[in-house]
Amino acid sequence: MRKYLQPGAIALAALAATPALAEFPMDGDVTFVIPYNPGGGFDTIVRTFSPALEEALGATVVPENIPGASGTRGGQEVYRSDPDGYTIGIFNIPGLTVSEATDRDIGFPLSDITWIANLAEEQYGIAVRVDSPIQSVEDLCNMGAPIKLSDTGVDSTSSITAVIMFDILDCPIVNVTGYGGSNDTMIAVMREEVDATLKPVGSLAKYVESGDLRMIFTLTEDTVLDGVQNATEIGHPELANFTINRVVGGPPGMDPAVVAMLSDALRTASESAPVQEWASGSGTALTFMAADETTAMMSALSEFYVQYKDLLAPQ
Amino acid sequence: MGLDALLSAVVDLIGGGSFLYLLAGVLLGLCFGVIPGLGGTTALALLIPVTYGMSSLDAMYLAGGVMGATSFGGSITAILLNTPGTAPNAATTFDGYPLAKQGKAGMAIGASAAASALGGLIGLFTLLLFIPVAKEVVLKFGPAEFFLLTVLGLAAIAVSVRGKLLRGLIAGGLGLIFAFVGSDAITGDIRFTGGIDYLWDGIPLVPTLTGMFAIAQMIELALKGGSVAGDKAPDAKTMRISGVGTGVLSVFKNWPTLLRGSLIGTIIGAIPGLGGTVAAFLAYSSTVQTDKDPDSFGKGNIKGVIAPEAANNAKDGGSLIPTVAFGIPGSAETALFLAILVLHGMNPGPAILLYNEREVYGLIVALTASAVGASLIGLLIARWLVLITRIDVGIVVPVVVAISLTGVYVLEGRMADVLLTVGMGILGYLMIRFDYPRLTLIIALVLGETAERSFHQVMLISDGQALAFMLNRPVSVILIVATVITFLLPSLRRVRQKRALVK
Repeated sequence: MRKYLQPGAIALAALAATPALAEFPMDGDVTFVIPYNPGGGFDTIVRTFSPALEEALGATVVPENIPGASGTRGGQEVYRSDPDGYTIGIFNIPGLTVSEATDRDIGFPLSDITWIANLAEEQYGIAVRVDSPIQSVEDLCNMGAPIKLSDTGVDSTSSITAVIMFDILDCPIVNVTGYGGSNDTMIAVMREEVDATLKPVGSLAKYVESGDLRMIFTLTEDTVLDGVQNATEIGHPELANFTINRVVGGPPGMDPAVVAMLSDALRTASESAPVQEWASGSGTALTFMAADETTAMMSALSEFYVQYKDLLAPQ
Repeated sequence: MGLDALLSAVVDLIGGGSFLYLLAGVLLGLCFGVIPGLGGTTALALLIPVTYGMSSLDAMYLAGGVMGATSFGGSITAILLNTPGTAPNAATTFDGYPLAKQGKAGMAIGASAAASALGGLIGLFTLLLFIPVAKEVVLKFGPAEFFLLTVLGLAAIAVSVRGKLLRGLIAGGLGLIFAFVGSDAITGDIRFTGGIDYLWDGIPLVPTLTGMFAIAQMIELALKGGSVAGDKAPDAKTMRISGVGTGVLSVFKNWPTLLRGSLIGTIIGAIPGLGGTVAAFLAYSSTVQTDKDPDSFGKGNIKGVIAPEAANNAKDGGSLIPTVAFGIPGSAETALFLAILVLHGMNPGPAILLYNEREVYGLIVALTASAVGASLIGLLIARWLVLITRIDVGIVVPVVVAISLTGVYVLEGRMADVLLTVGMGILGYLMIRFDYPRLTLIIALVLGETAERSFHQVMLISDGQALAFMLNRPVSVILIVATVITFLLPSLRRVRQKRALVK
């Protein structure tokens, strides 16, 4: 379908290129590409940030949903745009990092993207049924049968995290994938279809609070919840490397000055009252990182996941 | 606690300017419903960014208005032009369109309006009854039950195509082939895409349906010429529209059909991934199966309009069962409803009734008001709508083709969707021409993915002992029995008929 997309991209590029006279960001609107449908996590964070970003930047910000092909279509659109700062996008990290590490074609080299900022970061936990006899990761590993875990898809980051984590611990697992969303994977635990599920701490917390699930482990260096084991306690602090990030990037070769402006504006937006209020209401962990730090994190992540290439490659 | 919230939602709605949002939602829903290619999901997806600036309750009224009105709107096009306005109206064409061709479009629209309103009310009433036990109900339905429901659906296909079994199986098989294109839900492997990125996410339903029904039907009409009703209509000369009242009354006369359709709609609505198209189809086929005179269907039996229309409105109530239980969507529309909550800084989850009670009951009230309101508006304008069947197709065809292709493009902004629609339109026309059932293909396309995925899940969960696992689950056993009965019913009937003849 690239054949049909290209004329559109060229037309967009031509449009964006014409008024390159005045100074950024006064020439027009900033398009903020969301590679998923309206209403998802990526859409929500972009739409929440946009008004604050507009204020900080002094330019109109237009969120645009370009869904399709597991989030790669929107990424390709950003990659092919003019590097003038008027097109930026949010990226699914480490989803794309893992795809690239396992030689899956995502349509553009991730390392060419100009990284602007990291907006949020979530860590993982493992939960079991509230009345389950299992109290720790050790209990899970000593069940005498492979651990059954529920997940959405094999290429989802939580599933990848589970595969690598239990490989490190040398515990066999059966990953029951195909559930409709992260809520469904937790309900699968309640229905006793699987033993446990590995999901972002924020998502699990809702079910822990409602008394349906019990958290037994967090993939964090320090204790997040009292009485719940963390990665350091089981002697594998490296498990804290597994995170989900909402990262903002732009086309290759952006002017560092423009990147700095965007990054600063995103920082201001991230500290603004409406964004902070939304984050606490929705359980989002805002973790701002500027361009340099984000770029370093991106290459560290690539190196980290390439180590597990053989484990993750589709059979 | 529920009743208080319900009452305060009603008061809120009557009191404030919220009523205007609801009315806007209903009108928008009707329009999106009537236009082939555009449906409730498109309308809500387009509205989500707009609701950002509204209060969360007003957003609920707007969304509820849209959700409640689209499926009745879609039945109008299904009846008048043999083109379902939204996917769940596909089964309505079977008897609705023959009625329109006989000049009884007014009666069919009257029946559809009453069935939609009452079906919607029954679905929501069932939901209210189920709220206290919603969690238990949802926990009873796992991958095993999802898989068996898809088998039941596929069995219903085989039965619904009486007399054309082989053609039905060919169409169903083609639908399953289409369903397996794209990434495998379990392994993530990319299959049958021919190197085309567009097909990664599978063959999308809306373009397929729009092509198969809207475009194919327009090709058929264009080649035939004339007008839909022709001059067969008894009052063709005077242009008087009659029968709307008779249609409304027929729903009350056939209350068992209404009730069965509504209950099937509610149950299927509660199953994520199946949705209104399957609900309406199952309601239709079970009505045909249990009727004393199954051969009268497909030729303009009013029950063939009542059953699917009751089902596709009742499904909204059903699809909220998983939502009130755990904050998970039962349908594409409820997924967008939850998305609106997320966009308003809420975090729907298992405690949704605790934290978002206002919004949930607001939506229920809005849906109720919308199901009734849309039907009333529809009845008021039915007279003029029916005139479409008297217009020369030379005017109807270009308008419908242009609007539905635009509608398909609007959904995701992909030109490839438009090309797929045209391709499916040609395939659909060939299927009309050579008498293959098109809805069978669509149902198989919808069911195929769920069937495959849940079967894999059952195998993984049960360590390969799928059958033993299912026989241990009561709901699964009921579904297995229902499937066997579905298969046996036609043969039993034939045996009984033969005996009657011998006597």
